[in-house]
Amino acid sequence: MIIQRNYSPSALPKGTDVAELTSRIIGPLTLLIERSGIDQDNALGLRIHLDWIQYKTCFRDPVVVRRAVDQQEQTLPLSEISIDLRQAATPKFEEYLTAAVQSLQGVAPSNGQEPFVLDAFKPWRDSIIWPFNRLFWQQLGDWETYAKRGFEAALPSGGSDANHPDAVMEGVVEFWDLLKDLDARGNLPHDIYAMEIGVGSGARARLWLDRFQAFDNEKGTSYYSRLKFLLGDYSPSTLDTALAAVGPHAPICSVIPIDATNPFKVLSFLRFKILFVHLTNVYDNLTFDEIARRDNQLYIVEVRPYISAAAAEKIHAEFGFDRAQLPGAIKRLLAYGPESVGDHEKGMAFWTRIWDFIRLEERLRAIDEGDDSHLPKGVSRSPLDDVLSEVPHDIRFHLSRGAAESFVNTAALLHPRGYLQVQDIFVTSIKDYAQGFRGPGKLDGSFVTWVNGAFLHAVGARAGYHVNFAPFTHRKGSKTQILYTKRRD
Amino acid sequence: MSSLPPLPTTVIGSYSMPAWLERAKNDFLQRKVSRHDLDEMYDAGRKAAIKDQETAGIDIISDGELHRDNMIDYFAERIPGVLIDHGSKRLYYDFYDSVVRSKLATGSLGLLDEVRFLKKFSQRPSKISVSGPHALVKRIRNAFYPSEEAFALDLARVMNFEVRELVREGATHIQIDEPYYSGFPEDLPWAIKAVNALVDGVSAHVTLHICYGNRYGKPSFEGTYRYLFPQVLEAHVHALSLEFARRGEDDLQLFKEFKVPFTLAMGVVDVKTNDVEPAGLIADRIRRALGVIPAERLMINPDCGLVHLPRDVAFNKLSAMAEGTRMVREGLK
Repeated sequence: MIIQRNYSPSALPKGTDVAELTSRIIGPLTLLIERSGIDQDNALGLRIHLDWIQYKTCFRDPVVVRRAVDQQEQTLPLSEISIDLRQAATPKFEEYLTAAVQSLQGVAPSNGQEPFVLDAFKPWRDSIIWPFNRLFWQQLGDWETYAKRGFEAALPSGGSDANHPDAVMEGVVEFWDLLKDLDARGNLPHDIYAMEIGVGSGARARLWLDRFQAFDNEKGTSYYSRLKFLLGDYSPSTLDTALAAVGPHAPICSVIPIDATNPFKVLSFLRFKILFVHLTNVYDNLTFDEIARRDNQLYIVEVRPYISAAAAEKIHAEFGFDRAQLPGAIKRLLAYGPESVGDHEKGMAFWTRIWDFIRLEERLRAIDEGDDSHLPKGVSRSPLDDVLSEVPHDIRFHLSRGAAESFVNTAALLHPRGYLQVQDIFVTSIKDYAQGFRGPGKLDGSFVTWVNGAFLHAVGARAGYHVNFAPFTHRKGSKTQILYTKRRD
Repeated sequence: MSSLPPLPTTVIGSYSMPAWLERAKNDFLQRKVSRHDLDEMYDAGRKAAIKDQETAGIDIISDGELHRDNMIDYFAERIPGVLIDHGSKRLYYDFYDSVVRSKLATGSLGLLDEVRFLKKFSQRPSKISVSGPHALVKRIRNAFYPSEEAFALDLARVMNFEVRELVREGATHIQIDEPYYSGFPEDLPWAIKAVNALVDGVSAHVTLHICYGNRYGKPSFEGTYRYLFPQVLEAHVHALSLEFARRGEDDLQLFKEFKVPFTLAMGVVDVKTNDVEPAGLIADRIRRALGVIPAERLMINPDCGLVHLPRDVAFNKLSAMAEGTRMVREGLK
């Protein structure tokens, strides 16, 4: 049995007596394990992970069990009990521990308290959270109206760093400097293309355009009149909102419905023409996988959704869907929206309740290091090899596949002097994955996952870019970082 | 060129770099693969590149240049007097930190193996590409010569011996690669002088390849070729190799406007996309060029090297290029 600490004590909230918390758990847990009659092989292969999950809600219960299987889904001796220390004080914590150890031994909860499993194990990239996420962004207005708050209020920081005026101005000056330099060399293209991907409310684009126009006027350079600003988002209604928000700048703006993971698909006619692309809080909501390395073997994390027995009973009582009907109701919700399960009010209530109840059981599935099927599209295995060469033997990290694909397919649009900037939450050193929980954390109808910056660094190097990160300095305590690209020689 | 068909097809030099070879190159830098093993892999890759070009129907082939890390280091490592920091790169495609601190010595660059290899494994006419003095000057740090021009001219002097040796060994087509002209048009007067010094006394068909860069499969610069003229007309070369597939054919008119006497080695295949152009589209591009340049002064090639393309894409592009050229040749009869 190995105990693994997955947090940095210095990063915990002030006053947290983590040693006391840990000792309060490890004693009873050891007792439970010894009394469970676990055999020697399984005891040797058991790992206790102590986590500190900072999010108010996530897809895990306070104590979870992970089994490992081989590629043919045969159970391996490796198993893990993962404990969220932050929830160690919850009243039923010991029950969770007991259930976890019983589950380890294959003992199902009694009294009909088995969780209700909604789908099979799949890698994160194919899991049920993505259709939920898509529905949320498609019907954001409905959710916000029902929840009586905007989605930004649900962010851990209580707001987005996207629209900070100083940060926007800094970006404007940087862009203007590039234009000026190109102009001085006689290389400034007639049409100056800039793009915002993931436009949200359009507030940032409006602010950026206001500031750019004013700065351009002040400098007397007339670049604004040559500017063609592209607003890209996959939601047509978001694009409508953003276009309205840019107000007087609308004549130089074009709205482009795009998949953030592949802007090139729609914009290939602008190959090597765009001078500046900006994204804020997009990468953290793109598809990812998780890779774990245990004893030199690689595993992909697979998840399957479930709700607790109590939650299933509540759903039945409130909405009339029993266990046989529930999967179908969720399927309809995700395919056709809340009205497909009742009237609008009932549909919204069902949607928010289910999202609240859903948890994801995890397992580790062994993968062959030479297997390329888990790699992001358009990315060779070299960047993953680079990352793996940096990590300690036992680590679990995100394979930020959507972000990597987005990076590669956006870089393909950049002018030789063009650049990409991404404001988001990045794990910039792969070793930091052993220092804290990096998501996903559950938000209103959606979720947030830190982005593997170290992987993007390696992806960028293979695509011809230096990828660097700088902290967002305009708000104290901000976790945001800014990814900058610079062409490699 | 007498044994060649009209509109001879050729390559710029590099062929698709297999991912396994990239890994081996990186492993070599980390001492995980031996020089011997890497050389064996190179030979296998070069033979396969030759076979692919022959099968695709290319008239003047290269060895695929798979043994070159990039267009700078391969030469920087061989030029006597260039000091290389061998610990300065982790990825093979990066450039070494290299510097010149004293006058370059004259000596063999060891390029003859390329000619011998090509002669051994193919009966076809072949081409050897050499990075030009301007490109090398832009990447090798100069801590000795009073100017870039002086550095370039001395590089040309040293390389001229080797290029003459290549011809003595049997090389019939030599290409000088200069991808940085487009970023530094102000250098053109001395850059052309250096090319002339490099090819002085070289009795082979000489092509000057000027592109907009292909690092990581992306252009390094944008613009038009107008900056080349009339200065480039002073180059002592037989052919100018320029890219037209990706950038469009507007600059073809420059050949008419400046009554360019050179052969045009026309880039008709875009090497910065995996989309394979149909043969008919390539034929149309060639036909449009024939409206400006007579067939006897037109050669056909991709825009640049194929190093960044997957192998099947590179092969299919070359096949389409050969087929498109064949379609035009039919009309010339």
